[in-house]
Amino acid sequence: MSQTVDARGLSCPQPVLMALDAIKRSQEAEMEVFVDTEASRENVSRAVESQGWKVESIATEGETFRLEIRKAAK
Amino acid sequence: MGLFSFFRKENKQPPVSLRDRGILVFENTSEVIGAENVLKKGGWRIRVMGPPPEIRTGCDLVIEFPLVSELEIVRTLEEAEIMPLQVVAVSDGLLEPVNVFFTTDYGDFLMVQAANMKITVDKRDLTVVNISGGGCPDVPYLAAQMVGRRLDQVPEPRSIGHTLCGYSLQLAFEEITRKCLP
Repeated sequence: MSQTVDARGLSCPQPVLMALDAIKRSQEAEMEVFVDTEASRENVSRAVESQGWKVESIATEGETFRLEIRKAAK
Repeated sequence: MGLFSFFRKENKQPPVSLRDRGILVFENTSEVIGAENVLKKGGWRIRVMGPPPEIRTGCDLVIEFPLVSELEIVRTLEEAEIMPLQVVAVSDGLLEPVNVFFTTDYGDFLMVQAANMKITVDKRDLTVVNISGGGCPDVPYLAAQMVGRRLDQVPEPRSIGHTLCGYSLQLAFEEITRKCLP
């Protein structure tokens, strides 16, 4: 996973904005996003899916959620 | 036409002072939203407010209205089958307005917060990118209905929400619409 967005410690809507910025700027078709609240996990998931990306997996590591997201095939 | 229909026209309603206001208390926020819609459509000068502590009953919103129009307002609500639990004259200044906004500009994104709810829009294409806050059960539904859609194409929170969060989000939605749409 070459691109990582670390939004831990940030309050809404900043994790969402960071993830959307990364999606728009990146040439990569997959990336991982780290957040540390359930609300951020839900909001980031919803936002990236609205942009045509898919949440492949969500792993919980302590208080951190690691979202693996991938650009959906057209 | 009722006795007080004269006061319905907004520009003819008397100025409201602390001593001639009343508040309508409802069982839940859905009823507050419904009553607000009915009364505003009827031209009444009313406001949704936070209640004074002594009459808090579980719903965190009340409708303030001109006391002189009490009978006809209650009759209007009866016709709409939205009955208030209580109609109370206001004797102090404890009511707090809920329409205080905080706006944060994140560059390409604009966020407006009203009470406990935030809405964030991408200024480049006016897409709603985030709905957050609250803790009410309808927030995930509101977000699912609004995120990813253009500001001028989303359903208004007022029409799909049922809680205080939905009401707060409506206020934030109206404010961000004022800022973003010509």
